[in-house]
Amino acid sequence: MTECDEILATLFLGGVLDADAAAHLSACPRCATEQVHVRRVAELLASHDVPPPASTLSARVLGAAAPLLARHARRAAWRMLARALAAALVPLPLILVLDFYLVRAAYGVLDAVLPRALSLYVVFNYAATLTLLLALTYGMIPIVAERQMRLRREESRA
Amino acid sequence: MATDEDLIGAVATGDGRALEELCRRYERPLHRFIFRHTGGRDVDDLYQETWLRVVRAARRFDPRRRFSTWLFQIAVNLCRDWHRRPPPEPVDPAGIEATREGAAAAADAALDARRLLAALPEPQRSVVILRYYHDLGEEEMAEILGCPRGTVKSRLHHAMARLGEMARQ
Repeated sequence: MTECDEILATLFLGGVLDADAAAHLSACPRCATEQVHVRRVAELLASHDVPPPASTLSARVLGAAAPLLARHARRAAWRMLARALAAALVPLPLILVLDFYLVRAAYGVLDAVLPRALSLYVVFNYAATLTLLLALTYGMIPIVAERQMRLRREESRA
Repeated sequence: MATDEDLIGAVATGDGRALEELCRRYERPLHRFIFRHTGGRDVDDLYQETWLRVVRAARRFDPRRRFSTWLFQIAVNLCRDWHRRPPPEPVDPAGIEATREGAAAAADAALDARRLLAALPEPQRSVVILRYYHDLGEEEMAEILGCPRGTVKSRLHHAMARLGEMARQ
């Protein structure tokens, strides 16, 4: 682009000319002729008013986007759940091994001081309680994951 | 206040309120852009389609990019496709005359501007609208239009020359 083009572009976009450019504008015959047309075009473009969008347009867009958003929400929920379950399943073998040794040790101690039937009964109850707690913990994962997702959404909105 | 990029991230997880907020922020600029690009035809449909594409592609949005650039890129592509479509069925010329007669002086001026923009080839029109009405820099325009900065500059230069030519007539 030539100096003339740069100056005319500045005029077109409503910019302010520096001293050198202003001097060029008054001295250059091409710029002197062109600037009239450039200003005319700029005025015409500036007069191009656009009516405001219809008040119902946003509601229409949101309505049309609702099924897509619902699909995104379902996918996001599944992804979150899958991640939470995967993270929870990683320590599960270790927990099971520890529980097994704990129950076996408890049985060994009890067997030394109590009759065998009573020891078995106590250890069975203990093992059942552990299993129940473990099941409850893992059963809570989908609920906790969903809640966490909701909280994240609220945080991002704030 | 959540940024546009946070909001589009929330839209990707199905958050309707985030989409509502984004629509509120960009309603005017996007609507104006499409209106000027198409000369006021099919604006609402293109506006809606732009947002539907945004929602569809929300998961693929790169958070390092600016949301506004991405949004206008989608709008530009849709407007390009719109211009490639075959023209609509011819309408009754008597109806056009009646409309013309009833138009006010202010509307005439707007029509002139509309005619000026309509006379430009689509690539030049996009550059003029983005630069003149949306005050975007060359870098951002180049990203939106998917072309080098030099091309943006030359398109603006050619558009100005063409518009100047029309003003002379």
